[in-house]
Amino acid sequence: MSSNGVVVITWGRGGEAFAGEADDVLTLGREVAGALGGELVWLALGPVSDEIQAAASRYGAARIDRILDAKLAELQPDVFVEALAQYCARQSPRVVLFAQGFDARLIAPRLAARAGAAVVMNGAGIEVGSGGGLAITASAYGGDTRVVYEVGPARPCVVSVLANAVPPSAAAAATSPAVQDVPVDLTGVEERIRVVSKARAEGPRLDAAEIIVAGGRGLGAPENYELIEGLAEALGGLPGASRPIVDEGWVDSSHQVGLTGTITRPGLYLAAGISGASQHMAGCSAAKTIVAINTDADASIFRYARYGIVGDCLEILPELIRAAKT
Amino acid sequence: MRIVVCVKEVLDPDAVNNYALAGRLTIGEDGKSLTQTAIPRLMNGFDEQALEAALRLRDAGVDCGITVVSAGPEPATILKHAASLGADDLVAVTVDPAALDSHAIASLLAGAIRSQGGADLVLCGRQASDDDQGVVPALVGEMLGMPVVTIARAVEAQGSSGWRVTRVTPDGDEVVEVDCAAVVTVSNELGDPRYPTAAAKIKARRVKPTALSVEDLGLAAEDIQPRVVFTKQFVPTIQGNCEFIAGASAAETADRLIARLRDDSVIP
Repeated sequence: MSSNGVVVITWGRGGEAFAGEADDVLTLGREVAGALGGELVWLALGPVSDEIQAAASRYGAARIDRILDAKLAELQPDVFVEALAQYCARQSPRVVLFAQGFDARLIAPRLAARAGAAVVMNGAGIEVGSGGGLAITASAYGGDTRVVYEVGPARPCVVSVLANAVPPSAAAAATSPAVQDVPVDLTGVEERIRVVSKARAEGPRLDAAEIIVAGGRGLGAPENYELIEGLAEALGGLPGASRPIVDEGWVDSSHQVGLTGTITRPGLYLAAGISGASQHMAGCSAAKTIVAINTDADASIFRYARYGIVGDCLEILPELIRAAKT
Repeated sequence: MRIVVCVKEVLDPDAVNNYALAGRLTIGEDGKSLTQTAIPRLMNGFDEQALEAALRLRDAGVDCGITVVSAGPEPATILKHAASLGADDLVAVTVDPAALDSHAIASLLAGAIRSQGGADLVLCGRQASDDDQGVVPALVGEMLGMPVVTIARAVEAQGSSGWRVTRVTPDGDEVVEVDCAAVVTVSNELGDPRYPTAAAKIKARRVKPTALSVEDLGLAAEDIQPRVVFTKQFVPTIQGNCEFIAGASAAETADRLIARLRDDSVIP
């Protein structure tokens, strides 16, 4: 790869190199590679499934680079960063893209430091200037604003892309990317972080839910959260929460939806007693249908919602539960 | 043992958010700065929680000095607040933030930490509530050769030189250990930071920050050369297209919504 190539890096949980959809990052990668006059490459840490092959082809990757090493089976930050640093030293990509997720928040800046690259998180778009410089749009102030960061033409750049920020679009012509194995030497890396007790997901994940019913401060009191749980159950969905009520201790942080919580992409997001602050909407604005219940007709959330009810959620929610069950 | 806490001064995020919700957040003529000069500045919330994590370690009996470092235009204000919460030493690096990026700030913080003789633990908030970038802690870790453990809800001492950290992951809590000096970032799940006591505030008046200049840190020009230049800021406009549903009673309103969602095939 020349030094104007773009590489999209993914890895999976438990050995499978693909932790969910990368369609949006691949789309952005293809557009930037085109503007730079370089190639889009998918770097998979782990086995390349048919799913990866199909997505790579559909979104126009020129090649799939694969790193297979037993040490990469589970996420170990020191090991992963070393493997990626060796890859970047060898391939010199101009732009490295990650889908912003829990682990990418750590790996992306560490890789940037090792590779002498710039790093921008919360990326929402990248423009390439005539001189080859980059203008990266990112969110700031919890999503209340957008900012533009410029990186000079001689500087490689790592960008972590916000979920739901780039609409996926397939390449005009599908490609036939070959899989190429990339050797790395991980014998010298000692992982300094030791996992003593693994996280164990209890039940279905919020980021995969098709229907979410979320509650916020407008619920008034912690015991009213059971209305959220009741409606979620009646609709066959999962309960979510805004950060303020998580910070108040009304509900566990695993339910938190937002920029520092879970980013969701459901078919239906019903928000009760939630004002619609950007930090929260960053976690749900990609829902196909947003329904909002709020006593304030001017609440920000109504600018995002498809359907709105101006009213007291404590009166409306019990009726919705009844109606949902009939 | 030395625990270093890195803190940043930011615009009050709740105030910024309230302006945004009211549709009154605007950008100044420079195309970059928020115009609301009435918005107070304070210590980044996650950094307050990082300091709280340090204080809890001391409360738990870890024999440590807590040094709070800040690099910014006027570090004195938030450093005084840190002293009133119980910090033992304060280090201020005065710099113009407009000329810097995360890489440059990390170089300054790493340099300041080295100048104080290093650290056994470096605590940072997971991200600043203004730029939300959250990369400075990882960059500091790389510069100091320390492992970086992110998104902690609890930090405990482990043995004589190690740390045990409970992290908040999307799949629930994970507990990790490191046997050496580390950078740990703290998230809001750690809980509410304490308030300064009146006695501590009075005592804090006597604590003077050590002022370090960029030259004092012995950094080369390229260490503080920004790799990323902030050029523009704007408020995104959200076009609303909301259909309001109402009925003669809550029951009727609810029935109408459910019927509509079923028509749209959004719910069963």
